[in-house]
Amino acid sequence: MNQFNFEGSQKRLFLGMIAVGLACMAATFLFDDDALHTRFWTNFLHNTVFFTGIAFVILFFYCASTLAYAGWFVNFKRVFEAYSLYLPVGLGFLLVIIAGIWGHFHHLYHWTDPSLVEVGNPNFDKVVAGKAGFINKNWYTFGTLITVGIWSFCAIKLRALSLDEDNNPDADHSQYTQFKKIAAFFMFFGAFSSAAMIWQWIMSIDVHWYSTMFAWYATASWLVAALALTIGTLIYLKSKGYYTSVLPDHFHDLGKYIFGFSIFWTYLWFDQFMLIWYANNGEETVYFQHRFEHYSLLFYANLAINFVLPFLILMRNSVKRKAGIMMFAAIILFFGHWLDFFLMIKPGAYITAQEALAHGGHGDAGHGAAEAGFALGNHFPGLLEVGTFLGFLGLFLYLGFNQLSKASLEPKNDPYLGEALHHEVI
Amino acid sequence: MKSQNKEILYGLYDDDADLLKAVKEANKEHLEVYDVFTPFPVHGLDPLLGISESRLHIAGFVFGAMGTLTAFLFMSWVFTRDWPIIFGGKPYWSVPAFIPITFELTVLFSGIGMVVSYYIVNGLGFGVDNPTLDDRITDDKFCIAFQTNGYSDAEIENLSNFFSKTGASEVSSKVI
Repeated sequence: MNQFNFEGSQKRLFLGMIAVGLACMAATFLFDDDALHTRFWTNFLHNTVFFTGIAFVILFFYCASTLAYAGWFVNFKRVFEAYSLYLPVGLGFLLVIIAGIWGHFHHLYHWTDPSLVEVGNPNFDKVVAGKAGFINKNWYTFGTLITVGIWSFCAIKLRALSLDEDNNPDADHSQYTQFKKIAAFFMFFGAFSSAAMIWQWIMSIDVHWYSTMFAWYATASWLVAALALTIGTLIYLKSKGYYTSVLPDHFHDLGKYIFGFSIFWTYLWFDQFMLIWYANNGEETVYFQHRFEHYSLLFYANLAINFVLPFLILMRNSVKRKAGIMMFAAIILFFGHWLDFFLMIKPGAYITAQEALAHGGHGDAGHGAAEAGFALGNHFPGLLEVGTFLGFLGLFLYLGFNQLSKASLEPKNDPYLGEALHHEVI
Repeated sequence: MKSQNKEILYGLYDDDADLLKAVKEANKEHLEVYDVFTPFPVHGLDPLLGISESRLHIAGFVFGAMGTLTAFLFMSWVFTRDWPIIFGGKPYWSVPAFIPITFELTVLFSGIGMVVSYYIVNGLGFGVDNPTLDDRITDDKFCIAFQTNGYSDAEIENLSNFFSKTGASEVSSKVI
């Protein structure tokens, strides 16, 4: 079976997930929220950034592997293509955030307050003013539009080339050559622009704080989640009788990737933590101080789920060849990195909102305002957060499976197809 | 530690596909292959020869765990009992500061431990002279070797027939 059939039952499941997500988002907005709808907006930003980033990094991984003359993955490269086509949809969600910045619908970002950068204003904030050349509404808006726009263009173009290769093959593999040129451009552009976007989308929530490790750390988180999603998808499709050419050897290599990149993620997470812990500069330490005090369970659970579990579960090579345990690890890691983004986004945005509420609008800020008591959804994911997550996941999978059904699952004329079909790692 | 000399009858093949076919044929005829030599790893050869998975990685894990414990316990002892020093206002027992060194020693112990285990298990090391059957098996020939100590003439004849039947380009014998 080389043609994926997007069955009605699958569609109903994903549409049901989307419905649950919409219901949860509506419930969050209407009932369980403060006057600024902080919980709703942080959930929206969290899932938008998480899934858009997965689509980006999956395309990045696809391009990097192709440029490295890797051939082992090409029999399932359609999965990468299908998921990377989520990028235009992610841009749509980001436009909602951008509209919120201009229209003051939300208070996710403290730096959107113009009085902070106005010399002479009692609210003037030297740190925010110093960063205002980059952390400002115009950069956020046009940076996002141009960057994610170019990413989306690359995703669509690469997909078209891949399909063209199936239908109009020629002897000198002209589509493959063209693919590599675009992939090389995307690697170069994506590597730099994704860092800038992460600074804008996530790191600027804690606007007084910065870390040079942050962009790498967030990208590594996306990458593990993206590989976990690929593994889960392949195991599911195999269980349905598709992708008979995907062998335990392919899972072995994907397993090595998530094992290795889980450790890479830990390395970056720890580097960021240890340098700040050692230097003990007040304006940096407050980031971790706050998480220690109010998010201590999640803070350590993050390390346990994303480092200890994959390290111990995936270490043996025979484990990476077994579908059941790989599915288990993939689900754990996907959810674990969603939690990681929860910890990046929620604490800072919650403080910003608390301060804005306390001052009846944009207040004089800086962190360290009195934290209100435990708030479900802001200090720990509640059912509404999980529901919102399911909604975005349902949409992501619906669009991905829809794209999968539009082309044959295995490419026909990729120059490396033979290598992928005979892949053997032991 | 020189054991008895081994009489080896070996055949050289020009192609790895021929080699794989020949090993399959040898298994079918229940011939006891002494060893196979190839210039590069040939896929699918290990299961045919009944070679089980290497246990080297278990040694790697054990040595790595030893490195972790050595580094962590030693630093804990030094900085809390033997020579406590305050660095930058941190407590004596500052776990985050120990982690980079713990990591380094884990890698070091694991790496060196695996190399030493590998050399000992395979009888390699300085001054060890391992005879080769034919220098060309490190270049472009694929070799199947049988140990023929105590074989009757009929059995050796049978092996020669096996080589000619499976397309060996050369057959020789050697005592090592």
